[in-house]
Amino acid sequence: MQYFRENEVVVPGQLLTDDTRKRGFGTYVRDGKVYASTTGIVKTINGGVRVIPVSGRYKPERGDKVIGIVADVKPNVVEVDLGGEMVAVLKLPERESPPLNLDIGDCIYAEVKSTGLRGILLSNEGLQKIPSGILVTINSAKVPRLIGRKGSMIQLLRRESGCDFWVGRNGLIVINGPDPSSEFAAIAAINLIDREAHKPGLTERAIQLLRKIKGGSGEQA
Amino acid sequence: MNRPKLIDENGLRADGRRPDELRKIRMEVGVLEKTDGSAYIEVGGTKIYAGVIGPREVHPKHLELPDRGVINCRYHMASFSVDERKPLGMTRREIELSKVIREALETVVFLEEFPRMMVDIFVEVIQADGGTRTAGITAASLALADAGIPMADLIAATAVGKVEGQLVLDINELEDKYGEADMPVAMAPNLNSIVLLQLNGRMTVEEMFKGLEMAQEAIKKIHGLQTEALRNKYKVEPEGSEV
Repeated sequence: MQYFRENEVVVPGQLLTDDTRKRGFGTYVRDGKVYASTTGIVKTINGGVRVIPVSGRYKPERGDKVIGIVADVKPNVVEVDLGGEMVAVLKLPERESPPLNLDIGDCIYAEVKSTGLRGILLSNEGLQKIPSGILVTINSAKVPRLIGRKGSMIQLLRRESGCDFWVGRNGLIVINGPDPSSEFAAIAAINLIDREAHKPGLTERAIQLLRKIKGGSGEQA
Repeated sequence: MNRPKLIDENGLRADGRRPDELRKIRMEVGVLEKTDGSAYIEVGGTKIYAGVIGPREVHPKHLELPDRGVINCRYHMASFSVDERKPLGMTRREIELSKVIREALETVVFLEEFPRMMVDIFVEVIQADGGTRTAGITAASLALADAGIPMADLIAATAVGKVEGQLVLDINELEDKYGEADMPVAMAPNLNSIVLLQLNGRMTVEEMFKGLEMAQEAIKKIHGLQTEALRNKYKVEPEGSEV
């Protein structure tokens, strides 16, 4: 028996269902019932009940692609700042120099290999250095909305702004555009999504905003 | 100075309330920008801000726990929140209330979900008119929910007092000062569990159980207001009202 409406805002401790097989992210089980463990939007996905958090700091999961800034290079590890006072590491094989010749201050795009009691470990495979661009930070809970279903939102932003985006699941984003006004339009759209991710009609408003800014700069040129 | 009359001939209290009546309550979530979660609460004349920062790395590092997170809580009253002089730093009362509030919140927070991290909770009393620890913990619980900290339940709290021999709900400063007993109660309503229970003064066992019943009823209402405050933050305005 389901005790919620789809896409309803739920609060911690709210009863969701009696079917404990359906427990998903953002829920917990007690006495044979499933309750919400966080404030968020409740959705049924693939038969499981999940609560998508609407706020909160980034919680790394295996397989997440993140963006970080190299904070320190030590003999065995490279420490990477993921924002939100969170530090991840890249393990270095003995006596080898850091991959991609990473140095302090470099910006990287990497996959989370493991999390847990021993800290956040990033994978050396697929590691990329981001040479340049503008770094923007948003709330990590909004990143799925920024990417959109099957990448639809981020593709739209690419098309309408003319910029390239690197998107980290931790909320760090790097923008590269052909000119400052395109980059400005991209940043404005990203901030709009950060503020209003939970409201419907977001796609329309993002398109309108981008066209307004780019249209304006076009007239001046 | 003459002791004020706390209950009149009609059974009404000094501020016109019935014995089982709560003061006017106002709650708002997400009111502070530099926190991960925040809430503001007014219960009658008591006004409190709660802020939550975290989860983040533990400082000092030797206090971190390898298998679970830690919660720090600071209950503090601004020097301008009370009539009489309140020194600037932490008094013994504030240290005690910081501890009881922390212990209450620890029972519902899923600490295993953020090992080696800490969550800081700040309860700042701006104006005190009785019931500051209970309003404070109610606001702190909202701030934790606003910050997305995983929890088993929200916590709502109120105090039951004894005034001229009668049990009354949600005592204000006057009733606290001149009454015979003050019993703050905090509960996790969905878990039906008491997470904070203190008593100043004297009550019989029957009075205490009757007081707990009164508190439980009131706590259900306060919990309803908390849920509404959290939902309001994410409600969608009808088209046309957005600027």
